[in-house]
Amino acid sequence: MLRRHLIAGTAALALAPLMAPLVASMAGAADYPRRPINIVVPYKAGGGTDAYARALSAAAEGVLPVPVVVVNKPGSGGLNGAQSVLGARPDGYTVMLTSGGSFLLTTLMRKTPIDALDSFRFVAQVGQLRTALMVPADSPFQTVQDVIAAAKANPGGLRWAHSGRGGFHHVGGLGFLAANGIKAQDVPFKGGGPARAALIGAQTDFGFIGVQQLRGFEGKIRALAVNAADRDGIMTKVPSFGELGIPFANVSSPVLILAPKDTPDAVVAYLEAALKDITAKHAFADLLAKQGSGPVYADAATARATLAAMKADVTPLVADLK
Amino acid sequence: MDIFPALADVLADPMLLGAILLAAVVGMVVGATPGLTAAAAIAMLLPVTYYMDPLFALAFLYVIGKSGRYGGSIAAILFNTPGTAASAATQLDGYPLARQGKAGKAMKTATVSSVIGDFMGDTLLIVGVGWIAALALKLGPPETFAIYFAAFVVIGSVIGKSVVKGLASAGLGVLVATVGLDPISGVERYTFGSFDLSNGIGLVPLMIGVFVLGEVFAQMETRHRAVETVRPQDHGRDGDTLTWAEYKPCLPHALRGGLIGAGIGVLPGLGSAIAAFISYGEGKRRARNPEQWGHGALEGVAAPESANNAVSGPSMAPLLTLGIPGSTIGAILLGVFLIHGIQVGPTLFLTSKELVYRLFACGLLGIVAYGLIGYFGAAQVAKLILRVPPRVLYPLIFLTSFVAAYSARGSLFDVLVMVVSGFAGWIMRKVDFNVAAFVISFVLAKGAEETFRQALLMSDHGLLIFIERPIAAAFLGLGVVAMGLRVRTLVRDRRAGSAGHA
Repeated sequence: MLRRHLIAGTAALALAPLMAPLVASMAGAADYPRRPINIVVPYKAGGGTDAYARALSAAAEGVLPVPVVVVNKPGSGGLNGAQSVLGARPDGYTVMLTSGGSFLLTTLMRKTPIDALDSFRFVAQVGQLRTALMVPADSPFQTVQDVIAAAKANPGGLRWAHSGRGGFHHVGGLGFLAANGIKAQDVPFKGGGPARAALIGAQTDFGFIGVQQLRGFEGKIRALAVNAADRDGIMTKVPSFGELGIPFANVSSPVLILAPKDTPDAVVAYLEAALKDITAKHAFADLLAKQGSGPVYADAATARATLAAMKADVTPLVADLK
Repeated sequence: MDIFPALADVLADPMLLGAILLAAVVGMVVGATPGLTAAAAIAMLLPVTYYMDPLFALAFLYVIGKSGRYGGSIAAILFNTPGTAASAATQLDGYPLARQGKAGKAMKTATVSSVIGDFMGDTLLIVGVGWIAALALKLGPPETFAIYFAAFVVIGSVIGKSVVKGLASAGLGVLVATVGLDPISGVERYTFGSFDLSNGIGLVPLMIGVFVLGEVFAQMETRHRAVETVRPQDHGRDGDTLTWAEYKPCLPHALRGGLIGAGIGVLPGLGSAIAAFISYGEGKRRARNPEQWGHGALEGVAAPESANNAVSGPSMAPLLTLGIPGSTIGAILLGVFLIHGIQVGPTLFLTSKELVYRLFACGLLGIVAYGLIGYFGAAQVAKLILRVPPRVLYPLIFLTSFVAAYSARGSLFDVLVMVVSGFAGWIMRKVDFNVAAFVISFVLAKGAEETFRQALLMSDHGLLIFIERPIAAAFLGLGVVAMGLRVRTLVRDRRAGSAGHA
């Protein structure tokens, strides 16, 4: 390891007069990474987005020469963590792993200078999250129609849990309510874990939480439908709104790795390639399968295009919901 | 009985045993050093644990907390200054004993009593926590808020001599906690347009500032005053040994102290210092020799020392099952759980049961470790501390606190927070505000606000939800009763005081 650095160093020195500009730009990549890389997760530990960061951190061993440390900075639908990464040194040692859908929606709905598409460098997409309509295990609601009927009978009387206002679970839930012409009072929790705990304890009548949150809690909560046209690739037993013929808003969330805006190209390219290798590892898929989710890789350009398309779709919806 | 396989696992891991042993020594030294508390040491060591395995990190810090509570007794007995607030009650009889040449005897009594109390607390935790966790799954925001409320009222009124200053300190903690983004709507509060402030004030820099820097400033002010000390080596064998006949009358006090400490530990926010004083007061009231208490009764060491350590285990119950940090140490441990991706709260026992029981096993072994080291080596620890002069110690602590505050989140703003908190802590000490109440209120305020507002969103009848739900109503009642009792005691004390003067 040391020797390789020495050789690289000597070569760079010898060629320096000839290729000064090129060497300067490569130096960033050759030196990188030397310290642990911090992945900021702008949500509490234990949620669906957090699970991706944990799996990434574990699976990075062998691909990256340095440890990947997960730092949770929850609050404000992910803006807390995003702001801290925005202000971090753009050296590739601080990146954010965020739920792209939630992040986009938060920036659209809140007064913030952050733009989901332009404030950060896209590095890669590593997964996909979907929200689902869930109820406590002993809930009287057996089908989605039961929930709609109860909400119609008692407008605004039902309570529903989600993981924070402005998140894609919240907007997905609002979209479902609006599309079906019903009203209910939301109760925000800080993250998916506490929202699920509230459902387990039957604190609310229903909730919109990540479909993967059902894994391991099948006896405590029931998923009535996933908020998508088709069933989830991992949680295949849960029916989708699409197949049930129930109107819904198509809100989901690509799991994205974003870096501060001025992170050097070489560093971003290095991370993008490393993430492709990490997400392809069986260990990554295995770790995620325990949480009920799975790997979905896309490079920086594709990930940005996905989010840009979603922005076009949700902008009118958000204008109605605001 | 999940604890036995966990214990076997821990015993089979020499690295983990090494960490427990190290933590026992670190905690004891820190606890015995005047001005350093276990909570401050844990805050300062927190960044180191980021790179450890979760169990390793948690066990290390948890055992420091236990051992630090015990270590305070060494300073209380030998230096006539409480190493930690929790051992202030121990000083009442510990120092007179040391002056009579019985320092070793007093320290051994403290060790045995701490071990008894700690074991009682941990046993109750291990037996009861599964049951509490099952119950916790049924508790929602209204109940959780009621528990926070009870904790607030009780800490505001119990800590410190003055109810007004206690409540003011708690109120200040709440105010500082509201800086940042609103937990429900995300609106900025008291941020003055500053990006750093929108992230809120960090617990670790605040704690290091208030507990460490504030203390260093206070020590600088009083540096001319020589610390009275009794050197442990000055006495003969007789003062250093402890016989069963001598400890036998202490045993009921240690057992009662254990129960008092465990009971207080379950309630968030009260902490070791209160447990120790209540146990001392109760012990003296029931003692056969109350006239000796305060003049060097071994029982007067046993009662508070057992109680302050018994708090350690049960204080983990609200933390693990509800995510409510019962103490400043608990608040930091909460951060450790989160850093390592473990969701503390009602679902912890569904997802990470093995880890929790292994942590408990580490706690039990930690008690054994500090018990043995303390019983045979407390005098050596004291000599070690005396050998380091304050003019070396305090600058060292001062520098370390900067490193610790920065490295917790790698933020220079946190260093600024620490410095400001340091001055604030120093001033608060000068005007007799209660810094412990300030910090614990800061810790509790965020969760309290969040659950309060969630409860209101859940309610059909506004505030009535807290009365409609029986468990919530019970905890609110508990808070009110505790407040009432405190006021009654104060009034009685005042009457007794004025009668005495007349």
